Amino acid sequence: MKIDIEKLKKIVGEKNLSDNLADLYVYGADASVHQALPTVIVKPKTIEDVQKIVRYANQNKIPVIARGAGSGTSGHTVPIDGGIILDMKRMNHIIEINPEDMLVRVEPGVVDDDLNRALKPLGLFYPPAPASSRIATIGGEIAANASGVRSVKYGATRDYVMAMKVVLANGKLVNLGSNTRVHSSGYQLERLIVGSEGTLGIVVEATMGIRPIPKYRCLAVANFDKLEDAGNAISDIISSGAEPSMLELMDKIGIIAVNKAMDLNLPEVAAIIMFEADGNVKKAVDFEIEKMKKICEKHNGTGIEMSYDLAERTRLFSGRKKLFASLSRYKEGIICTDLADDMGVPNSKIAVTAKKIHEIAERNNVIMAVYGHCGSGVIHTKIMLDPKKKSQWKDAEKVIEELYDYVHSIGGVTSAEHGIGLSKAPPWKKARSDILPVMRSIKKALDPNNILNPHKLHDAPDDWVGATNLRYKVG
Amino acid sequence: MGVIGKLFYYKKKGNLKRLKKWEGELNKCIRCGYCYELCPLFKSQNWESDTPRGKLMLIYGMISGEIEPNQQIVEKLFQCFYCKNCSDNCSAGVPVTDILTDARADLIEAGFDVEGTIVNINEDLCSVCGVCVPVCKYDALSIEKVGKDENKIVVDKIECRGCGLCVAACPSGAISQKEGCEVTLPELHKKVTDLLKENKDMKAIVFCCNWSLFPGMQLSESPTLVKTNYGLIVSMCSGRVAPELVLNAIEEGAWGVMVAGCPPEECDHDGNYKTRRRLVLLRNMLKELNIEPERIKLDWFSTKESAKLTKSIDDFVKKLEKLGPIKKMEESKKIGG
Ligand SMILES: Cc1cc2nc3c(=O)[nH]c(=O)nc-3n(C[C@H](O)[C@H](O)[C@H](O)COP(=O)(O)OP(=O)(O)OC[C@H]3O[C@@H](n4cnc5c(N)ncnc54)[C@H](O)[C@@H]3O)c2cc1C
Repeated sequence: MKIDIEKLKKIVGEKNLSDNLADLYVYGADASVHQALPTVIVKPKTIEDVQKIVRYANQNKIPVIARGAGSGTSGHTVPIDGGIILDMKRMNHIIEINPEDMLVRVEPGVVDDDLNRALKPLGLFYPPAPASSRIATIGGEIAANASGVRSVKYGATRDYVMAMKVVLANGKLVNLGSNTRVHSSGYQLERLIVGSEGTLGIVVEATMGIRPIPKYRCLAVANFDKLEDAGNAISDIISSGAEPSMLELMDKIGIIAVNKAMDLNLPEVAAIIMFEADGNVKKAVDFEIEKMKKICEKHNGTGIEMSYDLAERTRLFSGRKKLFASLSRYKEGIICTDLADDMGVPNSKIAVTAKKIHEIAERNNVIMAVYGHCGSGVIHTKIMLDPKKKSQWKDAEKVIEELYDYVHSIGGVTSAEHGIGLSKAPPWKKARSDILPVMRSIKKALDPNNILNPHKLHDAPDDWVGATNLRYKVG
Repeated sequence: MGVIGKLFYYKKKGNLKRLKKWEGELNKCIRCGYCYELCPLFKSQNWESDTPRGKLMLIYGMISGEIEPNQQIVEKLFQCFYCKNCSDNCSAGVPVTDILTDARADLIEAGFDVEGTIVNINEDLCSVCGVCVPVCKYDALSIEKVGKDENKIVVDKIECRGCGLCVAACPSGAISQKEGCEVTLPELHKKVTDLLKENKDMKAIVFCCNWSLFPGMQLSESPTLVKTNYGLIVSMCSGRVAPELVLNAIEEGAWGVMVAGCPPEECDHDGNYKTRRRLVLLRNMLKELNIEPERIKLDWFSTKESAKLTKSIDDFVKKLEKLGPIKKMEESKKIGG
């Protein structure tokens, strides 16, 4: 691919561009199984930088892939056609914290935890926080509609997007949304960018809603001897009208893995659930916790521990926070791949889906943990396998097909929070063939030259294994 | 390719035998990138190839034959201060720094010669006094005979941790590290000056050891936030804080300087003992100049004791506010300069 490196250097400065192999190789990967090589990496600092780069790319039909921290799990930022990686991490200023209007205005490269660190002294927080909040950028979270442990009460990124500045594929800058909590002034285009995975425009500034930190938070943990009981307890808690600010599941595989990786000494029961309530009135928090505790007990939950203390809550939750990486330690020779990672199912289907996942895994010679923000219907799994064996990749393909067919058949979605990218595109395209033409028309209208993160989502290849090189050495 | 050509090829490429043993561990890395937040090099360089995740990717690429090692890749791999924030906090349990040490050994064997974060001896300035040799806890420095009456200091490029203690200890200024990672004396000087220039209300400069805690590691910038009246500088080991850095800060207008290091028995490099001695001398020096010695403070913090650090800084700044600005600048300048 011919790219005028000198021209790009003039825009961002020599030291903010790289086309050396050391950088290209690293920027060609994310947290997924995929790997490809971009042609060049540029790090814009200003909106004008982004406009100039995108305008040049559009004129020359060069792919442009916006990249935050590269923590995407499905190859979102993997440059399948090469091209320009637009590293947004230099645009990392918190421009405004406005407690009066309860909003923040940030550049897209601001890291989620940093934003919360800045808000905390003011008694405020930005709630959607994915587990990856320590590195994930606000731009990446918008583009993936990230959500997290507290989304069961506070919602996902989309619920916090108020306004946005976006650079379109032709280099034009548009202002979307408003600084008001609601608006009914035409198409909600700011919402269209949410979940667009870098395919419709580059977010260069975002105005997000914030909330006051509640005075009290109480976290509880309950043990279950049957995974189904834990699943049913979660469904019951939600349908009872209780208001958890967190409701997480972790199965035995997950428990064993975090015990091994982090010496946590959690009871190795079939499943645990963690539930939290928060609020400004302690009695109200006690009431919610008590209500959820009773439901857990009704479903044979035992050993229920609870605490208001921050240190204790952090200890209780530490295993969940680092579960994903810990899964790699579950068994020698087996590693954790980022596949089939985050389906969403209706509230009533948590227990059956959890059971089904274990059954499909066993039938196909792989291991799958079941965990996640199940209170919001998010079921996380990971496919754990021996990556060197070719046959295991065939097994993974079968698992993915079977599992997603099941999830879709019960009214679930392919991805609840991580997005589609490359690896989840085939099952998603199969399930949503009705909306693909609509999505393609939108894409064509906004990006006629198909330069923005091409061949992802609706245009991703149908064979995820062969879509790019795998990051693992197989065979 | 002839025999010699082949030999050269193999020598240059090396067989990376130590690294290949780590393939299983490298597969265990889920590439979550949680290590970004903990890596001082990423904070200073801002390239993902400088993060632990990036380095592990490069190593994987080399052992799987996808990429050939080249000078730039090797340079990246030799940049590490061994603070071990990454390996200690990796929940996939990947022993990042052990892998990087093996990478150094394999790549040196393959004929690569790069600087990385390793110290460099300027032989023209070095008097081979040997002061640096016992300073290094990793035995990375030794005196080697090179002629009948001639010795020189040799650096073991595998063992050097880049802590820079020897740089601070060398009386002839003969030991240096590459610029660019924000750890050299001129870079630290510049940071001090910039911090004091940017914020006229700044009372204290606080040097924090990167090993004991990683304060100020957040990756975003927030100029609109509450401005602190102290400036944090993450140095490598506290033993790296040379006397002239402290004096420079005072000369540039700081009301006081604090050094935060690991508790004596916890320092990986025994650098804190040196700091303690050094700061006692500096305090005496201030006394002689009629400047209150308590304007220099040393305190110890274990890993992640950030609450204790914040309180200690607050107390220090309060004390400085009581003392007010330094009056005897003229004389302190004589010492600093
Ligand atoms: C261990 C682990 C745990 C995780 N936990 C969660 C979780 O709990 N919840 C959750 O929702 N996700 C989670 N994720 C997934 C991931 O962290 C999120 O999707 C996150 O929002 C990605 O942010 P990023 O900055 O890394 O974006 P990247 O991975 O760099 O990019 C993601 C997508 O956003 C696009 N993009 C990035 N910046 C911009 C921009 N400025 N403008 C337009 N498009 C842009 C990219 O092109 C890409 O398509 C997890 C990932 C890991 C590895």
